[in-house]
Amino acid sequence: MGKTAPTGKIERKLARWGLIFVTPAIVFFSIFSFYPILTAFYTSLFKKNLLSLKKPPFVGLGNYKYLFTSSDFWNSVEATFIFALGTFLPLLVLSLMLAAFIMNVPKARKFFQMAYYTPAVISSVVSAAIWLLIFDPRGLANQWANTIMNTPGIDHRWLAHSVMVRISTMLVYFWKYIGYFVIIFISGLASIPPSMYEAAHIDGASRWDAFWKITFPLLRPTVVLVSIMSMLQCLKTFSTQYLFTQSGAPQAPINVITLNIYNTGIRDFRIGRASAMSIILFALMLFFTWLQFKFSKSDETSY
Amino acid sequence: MKKSVILLMIVLMTLSFSLSANGQQASDESGPVSIEFWTHEDPNRDAIETRYVEEFMASHPDVTVNRVTHSSKKIFELVLTAFAANAGPDIFNMQIEQAYSYIVNERVAPVDYMAAGYTDAADMQEKYMDGSLDSVMVDGEVYGIPLELNNWAIYLNKRIFADAGLDAEKDYPKTWEEVADISEKLVLRDGEIITRRGFDFRYPYYLISMTPMVEQLGGKLVSEDGKTAIIGDDAWIKFLTYMREWGPNGRNLGSPTYKNARKLFNMDNNDMGMAMSGLYQGARIRNDNKEFFDSGDWMIIPYPTFENAVNDVACNFYGQYYMVNAQNSDREIKTAWELTGYMMSHDEEYLKAVNIVPPTKKLMSSETFLNMPYSEVFVNDLARAHVVYTSENGAKMEELVKEAVESVMLGGIDPVQAHATLKAKAQELLNEL
Repeated sequence: MGKTAPTGKIERKLARWGLIFVTPAIVFFSIFSFYPILTAFYTSLFKKNLLSLKKPPFVGLGNYKYLFTSSDFWNSVEATFIFALGTFLPLLVLSLMLAAFIMNVPKARKFFQMAYYTPAVISSVVSAAIWLLIFDPRGLANQWANTIMNTPGIDHRWLAHSVMVRISTMLVYFWKYIGYFVIIFISGLASIPPSMYEAAHIDGASRWDAFWKITFPLLRPTVVLVSIMSMLQCLKTFSTQYLFTQSGAPQAPINVITLNIYNTGIRDFRIGRASAMSIILFALMLFFTWLQFKFSKSDETSY
Repeated sequence: MKKSVILLMIVLMTLSFSLSANGQQASDESGPVSIEFWTHEDPNRDAIETRYVEEFMASHPDVTVNRVTHSSKKIFELVLTAFAANAGPDIFNMQIEQAYSYIVNERVAPVDYMAAGYTDAADMQEKYMDGSLDSVMVDGEVYGIPLELNNWAIYLNKRIFADAGLDAEKDYPKTWEEVADISEKLVLRDGEIITRRGFDFRYPYYLISMTPMVEQLGGKLVSEDGKTAIIGDDAWIKFLTYMREWGPNGRNLGSPTYKNARKLFNMDNNDMGMAMSGLYQGARIRNDNKEFFDSGDWMIIPYPTFENAVNDVACNFYGQYYMVNAQNSDREIKTAWELTGYMMSHDEEYLKAVNIVPPTKKLMSSETFLNMPYSEVFVNDLARAHVVYTSENGAKMEELVKEAVESVMLGGIDPVQAHATLKAKAQELLNEL
């Protein structure tokens, strides 16, 4: 008893300091994230016009009911999931492959890290503007595609065809974020003790074996982190789709939920309905994050 | 502890209320007045309005005006978010399709006629072109002073016509069918990729530039009583069929994804034969390419009609209106209208320096206006035009028309099906109001 009392005191003291240090983050999160989420939920229960000064009528779950029966909203859900799947999976796989490749070329590692990371520091608006020029019918995308496929004069309609415009938005996002996730994977790879590889090498394991038996299992926390981050990024995508539609691309194929929220709230002034959409998006993101955590925890590896 | 916190909060709240009440009172009766004035970027207008503001402040020593310019693409969002937070600018200008919601939601004040230089609403109406104030009038009150009123005609590059063996003066298109046929002669392609367009539409502005085409064929966007959407099925299907033929799935004469036609036109790089724009485009050609402006190689032709048109309708006109925030003290509102009235009393200078047309009767019958190249084309078209559709749901309605046009041009959807979808969605939108 006499021995445990001082330990408890130290723990309490440490806990107090811990609380002090996390307080700013909690306050920040509460003001800039938690409060807006609650406000959005509250607003979603009203038929609120963004410009009106009149008291908005309470509609309860009316906005949600409308959305669940709206073909326009379901089209947005479909566009969001097509985009998220088409971007998130290649991002995850290729960023891991590129990170593994870069780790194996120590001399050029810095150059590759910089080269891949550069697009991530460019603002989304600027990158979409650059790609708009590339996807112009007379731009580089048609020229490259026609040279590679030997199809002179073909317009691949990067921004005009419903399938191509989806691929175009995925390409922009992939180009922009691949470097960011490569850097995270490189940090994950660097944290694996070299002694593991040395032991495997002595035991006669090939590089391929080492990757699948050592690297991949031990990288699982990083894979989970990257998959959650990239999936959330994809579900939140907005600026590329916004700029593309502003430049004449058809809206329906790339009318992702965030773009629909923007148009409903800012263009149509229906902030109640837009809030309901953002709450649904929030719930979807929360669900998929939980799902990923659940699956990743079932097979944890440690060393 | 708790009592002291509650006491402190009560003191702070009382203090803040009394301070704001005092501030309001000071602003109401006497003391300095500060006017926040937001407008879209226009270098030519900046020069003259900055001078007007300085002159106004010199003659009103207790007034400070902060004139802020924003990108024309962003100003709508900025003003909206500012108003949503009850912190809107005192004076702002906006295109009528967007500004209309501010009027119906009582966010803008009616014109203070005396302060703005008119005796009453009737006097103001008397001084402006017929119909130019209709879209900002509610219950006999006027809610905005027009900065400019625009209608669009077609700018034509004579050299490109000559290059295709055509005489622009004689062969210019009078009908939409001719626009397509002549574009076919002017267009140059590298395989499927267009390298020179004969003509192309102003795609984001479907309500201004395309709904008159439907009206020519006997259709309408919304019925007179505002209860039925997409009137005249045949007219809409014919219009959508024309647009399908225009796009890459038809005759491949243009597409919304090609670069903005009127900007290419100014550059005169042999890539744009005709483009649609307003009188203001003249000043932009002069700024972008003075050599082309002075060359005499361009002309302006009227908005075409269909061969079998049942209505002679030209491009819709729209306006930019100066408006004043209603959430201010009476004195601030009065001062804001006084400044706006002072600026707009220089209508002729707006025309000369900026090439925009404040639609006063005096200006539109002045030598300055009538001597401007091709001003008669715009005046004649204006006589057969009406104001663009304005409603709280105007932007959404435009999106639905855009969706229909894009679906036939780019998505390969049949015009009959696109029309049915448009009709159902537009009616649902009207029913929601």
